[in-house]
Amino acid sequence: MIQLFRLFKKFGDHTALHDVNMHVAKGEFVFITGPSGAGKTTLLKLISGSEKPSSGSILVNDIDLNRIGGVRLDLFRRKIGYVFQDFKLLPNRTVFENVSIVLEIMNLPFSVIKSKTCQILNSVGLKEKAHLSPLALSGGEQQRVAIARAIVKEPLILLADEPTGNLDSDLTRRIMVLFRDVHQRGATVVVATHSRELLDNNDFRTIVLNKERI
Amino acid sequence: MATGAHSHVIKQALSHIRKNRFVHGVAVGATIGAFVILGLFFLLFCNLNAWMKSWGNTFSMTVYLQDGISDFKRDKVDSFIRGLPGAEISEYISKKQALSDLKSALGQESVLLDRLSRNPLPASYEVIFEGEGEGHDFGKKIIEIEANLGKLDGVEEVQFNHEWLNRLDPLMKNMALAGFVIGGVVCSGVLFVIMNTIKLIIYARKEEIEIQKLIGATDWFVKKPFVFEGAVIGAAGGIGSLVVLFLCYIIFAAKKIHLFGIVTLDFVFLPMEYIFFLLIVSIALGVTGSFIATSRFVSN
Repeated sequence: MIQLFRLFKKFGDHTALHDVNMHVAKGEFVFITGPSGAGKTTLLKLISGSEKPSSGSILVNDIDLNRIGGVRLDLFRRKIGYVFQDFKLLPNRTVFENVSIVLEIMNLPFSVIKSKTCQILNSVGLKEKAHLSPLALSGGEQQRVAIARAIVKEPLILLADEPTGNLDSDLTRRIMVLFRDVHQRGATVVVATHSRELLDNNDFRTIVLNKERI
Repeated sequence: MATGAHSHVIKQALSHIRKNRFVHGVAVGATIGAFVILGLFFLLFCNLNAWMKSWGNTFSMTVYLQDGISDFKRDKVDSFIRGLPGAEISEYISKKQALSDLKSALGQESVLLDRLSRNPLPASYEVIFEGEGEGHDFGKKIIEIEANLGKLDGVEEVQFNHEWLNRLDPLMKNMALAGFVIGGVVCSGVLFVIMNTIKLIIYARKEEIEIQKLIGATDWFVKKPFVFEGAVIGAAGGIGSLVVLFLCYIIFAAKKIHLFGIVTLDFVFLPMEYIFFLLIVSIALGVTGSFIATSRFVSN
């Protein structure tokens, strides 16, 4: 499903990833961990196609990400749910609109968009705040909006960058239930975290990134 | 099927307009100003055309007959003239009457004419042509008739003063050319204003566009609200300019213009085809301007 081969990523003189090789099977749940600055976020960005590698290849679902662009890249991104570390919510839209936009992009009928969005907001405990701006929410609530947006489209691959960083233990458990649910429906899940709690309480393969290497 | 994407376009565009009222207001104002200039020119053109039509509805012509024309030939000329569309013979002036008319016109000097051994003046027909709303084209038809009459057996000469008609044609052509030039300048100006307005809005929403691209939006999905917005600016500018032009028309229509103390000129407003043209051009410029602006900023 996800194959990284001899992957290098540099930002100017700074090397973010050095000769990374990795394989994640279809339907697998994987944690990527490592200290801050190890390259976890960069790795997820490369897998999602939002960054291009300096060298090496990335195959995701048999698609060579070095070779796609334009509409094909847009369509590829629709199959991926991405929980960004900085949430990347749209401040000019409501919580409901922040989640529903991914379904609008997929050109689904409004009735489907409405029911799916309400359902997912209920799952993350934000149904009552659907009409609010994300700016009116706490950090933890914003993170849940970001998670809802990533999973509402039932992605083939779910990439989550520190998805529980701002959440308490109870909410962390609830989010992990959602992730397991997505996983059980057949999605491949890659979670970048340095949360010990998350790693200790879940029995999935863990890939450790250290000093830009696996 | 009502899809979320359609509602997204309208919602987003209206939200952009609501949140950037000042920028949009300036763009619509500039569009109105530009189209008022173009519209005033159209108004002038249409009114000139209407006045030309009303003046050009009646023409008179003198058909001189050859000396010694037989009655048969004269009857043929007579029936040819009567068969022409809109033609009416107002008077037949025989050779004798022509001489008598000349004598009365000369008064005491007419004794000079007594020395003539024969009457040199030709018999003639005074013909009046009346056209219904054909205006400038009617004038052109009359010139053709003049040529055909001149070739008729028994006709010596046809007199018809078409100098002013000859001048009218280049005037209208120059007006049309000026219309193209003014139209081109105005359209470029409107395109520039709308393009820059959309650019400003795109700059303000750069982050939002990036996020949309990251979650799988196609370029077209991102562009659509901006293009719709451009169309709204264009349409608002077009409608606004028509309102301003109509107000100008009401003010001027109340005043009658008198020429030589005899002819009264009535003002006309833009015909429907001009109104549609202005609206369609304004919307098309809005769409084109925003399309160009977004194409430069929205891509993978």
